[in-house]
Amino acid sequence: MTTGIEEVVLRYQRRVFTFARYFLGQREEAEDVTQEVLIRLWRNADGLDPERLGAWLLRVTRNACYDRLRQRRTAAAVVASDLDPEVAEAAASEAPGPAALAEAADFQRRLLAALGRLEEPYRSILILREVQDFQYQEISDTLDLPLNTVRVYIHRGRQRLREQWKEMYGDAHPA
Amino acid sequence: MPTRPDDCAAALALLEPYLDGELPPAEAERLREHAARCPACTAELRLAQALQGGLRELPELDAPPAVLARVRAAATPEMPVLPFARPAREPAPHSWRSRFAALAAALVLVLLGTLLLFELRSPRASQPARPTPLEVARATAEARYALAYVGRASRRAGLEIKDEVLPEHLVAPAARSLSRSLQEMPGLRPDSAPRQGS
Repeated sequence: MTTGIEEVVLRYQRRVFTFARYFLGQREEAEDVTQEVLIRLWRNADGLDPERLGAWLLRVTRNACYDRLRQRRTAAAVVASDLDPEVAEAAASEAPGPAALAEAADFQRRLLAALGRLEEPYRSILILREVQDFQYQEISDTLDLPLNTVRVYIHRGRQRLREQWKEMYGDAHPA
Repeated sequence: MPTRPDDCAAALALLEPYLDGELPPAEAERLREHAARCPACTAELRLAQALQGGLRELPELDAPPAVLARVRAAATPEMPVLPFARPAREPAPHSWRSRFAALAAALVLVLLGTLLLFELRSPRASQPARPTPLEVARATAEARYALAYVGRASRRAGLEIKDEVLPEHLVAPAARSLSRSLQEMPGLRPDSAPRQGS
C-alpha cells in the first residue's frame, strides 16, 4: 500500500529522472541525483506548497545536476554515454529497417552529445521545452526567469544547438 | 533570382517563431518562399527542424525501481529494506572487517570451485570422475548459495556495489558457468552415458 507522499514521489519521479538523465548525459549520475532529490521531496513534502511543488522539484533537480557538472574534472565526461534502452527503443519505433534503425540511434546519440555541450541555461531550457514539453510559463516558474527572457533563451538555445551540431558534425544533414 | 544577405537575415529572424508555430500564416509563407530560393536557409531550416524533432522524440524516462526502493528505504528507515537496496546508513567504522570477511569468503569460494573442477576433471585410473546428477545438482546449489552469501556479505559491508552487479554479473554467471562445466564433464551428458564394456 502506498502512502500519500509515496504517491507524490511516484508521480514526479519521471520528471526528475528524465531531466537529470538528459542534462547529465550519464545514467549513474542521473540515478544518484534522482535519489537525492526524491529523498529530499519525501522528507520535506509536508512543508511544500502543492501548487509550486513541480517548479520547486525541477529547480532542486537542476541545481543538483549543476553541482554534479561542476564536480566533473574533464569536459569529455559531459559527452553523452550510450543510449538507454528506452531511448534506443524510441529511435527504433520510427525506423522501418535495420539500417534506418542504426541511423536513428546514431542521430540520437549525436544529438545528446551536442546537447551535453550546451552551456547553461540553454541546456536546461531546451530539455524542459523540447523534451519535457513545458510551457513558457512553467519554465519561467521553474527557473525563476521572466517570461520574455525564457522566450529569448529558447530561441538562442536552439541556435546554439545548431552551431554546436555544425561544430561537431559539419554541415551534413543529421537524419 | 539570387537572394540577398538582407533577405536571409530577415528569413532567419522568422525561424524560431516558425518552429514554435507562432508565426502568422503570411509570415510563414514568406519564410518558405525564401527558403525555396535559398539553399543556405533551406539547410538551416531543415537542421533546425531535425534537431527539434529529435529532441521531441526523446522519451521521458522512469527512474529505475532500485532507485525508488532506495528512496523509500532512506526516507522511511523503519520500513524493511527491499531486496538489493543500497543501505541508507553510512558504513560502520569497522566495516573493513566485514569487507575482509566478504573478500575472504569470495577467495575461499573460488578456491573450492577450482579444486572441485580439478577433482572432477582429473582422470583417475581406478576411479573415473563421473559424479552422479544428484551430486551435480547439489554442487550447483551449494555454489549458488555461496555466491549469494558473498553478495549479501558485501552489501552488508557497505561496499558501493550497484544493485544489479552481484546477482546479474557475478552470482548468476558464476552459477551458470559452474553448472555448464559440470554438465560438460565426460559421463554427464545424456549422449555420453557410460557404455557397457567401456
